[in-house]
Amino acid sequence: MRLTDIMSHMALSVWAEIALVIFQIVFVLVVARVLFAPKSEVRRIASLPLDDESDVKLFEEVE
Amino acid sequence: MGFEFKSSGSASQLESFSYDDAIVRKFFWATLIWGIVAFLVGVILAVQLAFPQANFLPQVAFGRLRPLHTNAAIFAFAGNAIFTAVYYSTQRLCKARMWSDTLSKLHFWGWQLIIVSAALTLPLGITQGKEYAELEWPIDLAIAVVWLGFFGTNFLMTLIKRRERHMYVALWFYIASLVAVTILHVFNNLWIPVGVVQFLQTGEFGSPSTLLKSYPLYAGVQDAFMQWWYGHNAVAFFLTTPFLGLMYYFLPKAANRPVFSYKLSIIHFWSLVFIYIWAGPHHLHYTALPQWASTLGMVFSLMLWMPSWGGMINGLLTLRGAWHKVASDPVLKFFVVGVTFYGMSTFEGPLLSVKTVNALSHYTDWTIAHVHSGTLGWNSFMTFGMLYWLAPRLFQTGKIHSEKLISMHFWIGTVGILLYVISIYTAGITQGLMWRAFDESGQLSYPEFIETVTRLMPFYWIRAVGGTLFLLSACLGGYNLVMTWLARPKKYEVPVHEAPALSKVYDDGPPPQSRLTANAGIGHAGDRFLQGHWHRRWERLPVRFTVWVVIGVGTASLFEIIPTFLIKSNIPTISTVLPYTPLEVAGRDIYVAEGCYNCHSQMVRPIYAETQRYGEYSKPGEFVYDRPFQWGSRRIGPDLAREGVNNPNASWHYQHFENPQVFTTGSIMPSYKHLVEGDLDYGQIQSRIRALAMIGTPYGDAVKNAESMAREQAKIIADDIRAQMPGFVLPEDLEDKKVIALIAYIKRLGTDIYRTPEPADAAAEAAPAAAEEGGAH
Repeated sequence: MRLTDIMSHMALSVWAEIALVIFQIVFVLVVARVLFAPKSEVRRIASLPLDDESDVKLFEEVE
Repeated sequence: MGFEFKSSGSASQLESFSYDDAIVRKFFWATLIWGIVAFLVGVILAVQLAFPQANFLPQVAFGRLRPLHTNAAIFAFAGNAIFTAVYYSTQRLCKARMWSDTLSKLHFWGWQLIIVSAALTLPLGITQGKEYAELEWPIDLAIAVVWLGFFGTNFLMTLIKRRERHMYVALWFYIASLVAVTILHVFNNLWIPVGVVQFLQTGEFGSPSTLLKSYPLYAGVQDAFMQWWYGHNAVAFFLTTPFLGLMYYFLPKAANRPVFSYKLSIIHFWSLVFIYIWAGPHHLHYTALPQWASTLGMVFSLMLWMPSWGGMINGLLTLRGAWHKVASDPVLKFFVVGVTFYGMSTFEGPLLSVKTVNALSHYTDWTIAHVHSGTLGWNSFMTFGMLYWLAPRLFQTGKIHSEKLISMHFWIGTVGILLYVISIYTAGITQGLMWRAFDESGQLSYPEFIETVTRLMPFYWIRAVGGTLFLLSACLGGYNLVMTWLARPKKYEVPVHEAPALSKVYDDGPPPQSRLTANAGIGHAGDRFLQGHWHRRWERLPVRFTVWVVIGVGTASLFEIIPTFLIKSNIPTISTVLPYTPLEVAGRDIYVAEGCYNCHSQMVRPIYAETQRYGEYSKPGEFVYDRPFQWGSRRIGPDLAREGVNNPNASWHYQHFENPQVFTTGSIMPSYKHLVEGDLDYGQIQSRIRALAMIGTPYGDAVKNAESMAREQAKIIADDIRAQMPGFVLPEDLEDKKVIALIAYIKRLGTDIYRTPEPADAAAEAAPAAAEEGGAH
């Protein structure tokens, strides 16, 4: 019995259904993470791109 | 440059560092230059469709030039734009210089070398014949080394050595792009190089074209599946996710306000990563791909609409309270229109994946319009917005040379895009409707394919005008950016920044406690889980985060790939389908090299209008020896899957290749006179047959006698043409011409299923016998 024989006897629709269930689980986990994230933390992270040049201390000239 | 020094004062524990903007400037210019090249080649192609005489050289004929355009647009223009964004934003978001200046430079020059290699090989017909994956195996290897070895290592090490604890969402999108493109590139480019096989067997590499030639390990349906798993996700992880990273960084910078909803960006990211990878099969609706895979691709494509629009809304709402700036800030104009096109394209994509819509749109110019609304509207405008935002900062001029010119660029470019896509949408729908139109007697209203071509000519001209306007606008942009650069200081200032290094031990704070009062243990565990402490840890652990992205992309891929490869019923074998003869293999390789798949499909769908026009619909088992598959994605010319049945006349093909307009007035197919005049290198055929035999094609005696068998079949076809064309001046050595091999292949197309099955006891010897038959097909 080869792997292709085993696979060939499986119901194809099961694969698609498992795929959808996996996606839903992942989606729920992500939504849960988002819903319960502390607001202050999210606010700080969201402003990271705006803060990235604020700590310039001095300039040097180079080629 | 390339300095990084630490402060000696341990009290502050601050480290000093500077950013490597020199590498950003290099990618900046590469983006602009390759962009103009890609747009220029696109305009030439548009003109060639409307004015076929523009195919004046074989090296720049439509079939060879179109892959150059797509590769230049995707990997040269968009690729360099991605690297510009990544190198600029990653350093700043990580508060760290790129890990290795040497790797940065190797990455830059390696990538440009790959682009130049593509520009040299594709016009010469050196191609794998798979859309967006045309580059031959040595270049594939170079891509793997440069992408993962140089870029990937440098990027991931920068993340690991960063000084900002949290990884901003733009970095997540870059990680996903890096991981997914690596996986896609490797698995879609598993091949056997003909030259290497020859070297192993004879000790000689053979001619350059033999050395550079390869055949994919996959064949037919499986090759098609892998190709569109790759092709769709190249759009996803090369043209979408890195540009979303760009959007999440540069749009807030340009608007000077944080992204509308960081939470939404997290949902956007994971949903895209998990859903996108499934959607590839929607490119193969109603083909010989198993229906379950096609349906799965459609369902996930529809689901893709939600996160895509979540991202678009997040981008546009970032401008809440700042819409007045859009009217006056030309950079924001580019970003707003770019994000809007993202929304339009990602609405249209799921729409086109619906099978009934796809039945109309597939193989028509509708797909081309869809692609260009994405690449011109989303990718190009986001890129130009970024370049304009970066220019005064990178060149330290404080301002752009001319804001007026930016506005001109924006408006001319926008009009160009609209002219392009509206005309081609119209052409595509017209084409699709004409193909399926029936008259009152139940016959095809437009039985001659050429009728559906000539009708499109006005739209093709409008498209050429639109493309020219877009090219013109990019040149204006280029002028403006060069003038800005000319105003740069003699020496660039390099700001030195300070930030503390990340401590190896990080206190996440106490783990969350359950907020519930009267629950069982599992309830408390669930509540602790829902507080998301675990995900916040991932978000500051780049290696673990990358592993989870790999799992996300890999899981989705394997759920489609494993059944496609392992379930026998997906591809029922047909006993009369036999390997191509040596001469047919040579002809097929010419078909691939000339890029015929760019204009002709080889897939009759099980749709009544198609079976009426072309004949019996295509079966999965007909393609088991097709390496690479040549189903195509577009019908500028008619489908050829049953050409050997519908038109087996060798002399017709001979004359048609020399001058297509002889038989079809109004044909836009270029002349292939160089095939009529050029000699076939029979010496190469043997090594190609050996390579195909090595990966499972049952060739029998052809493994030893391929050349003589090919010559024998060529003689039969040449004699046939001579007999059919009395009075014509034909070359004395007609059987030595390339066109004879191509005609042998064309005459074979779609004929196998009509052959009488071999008697059962002879079936085992069928393959070698077929190879020996030579011209019998």
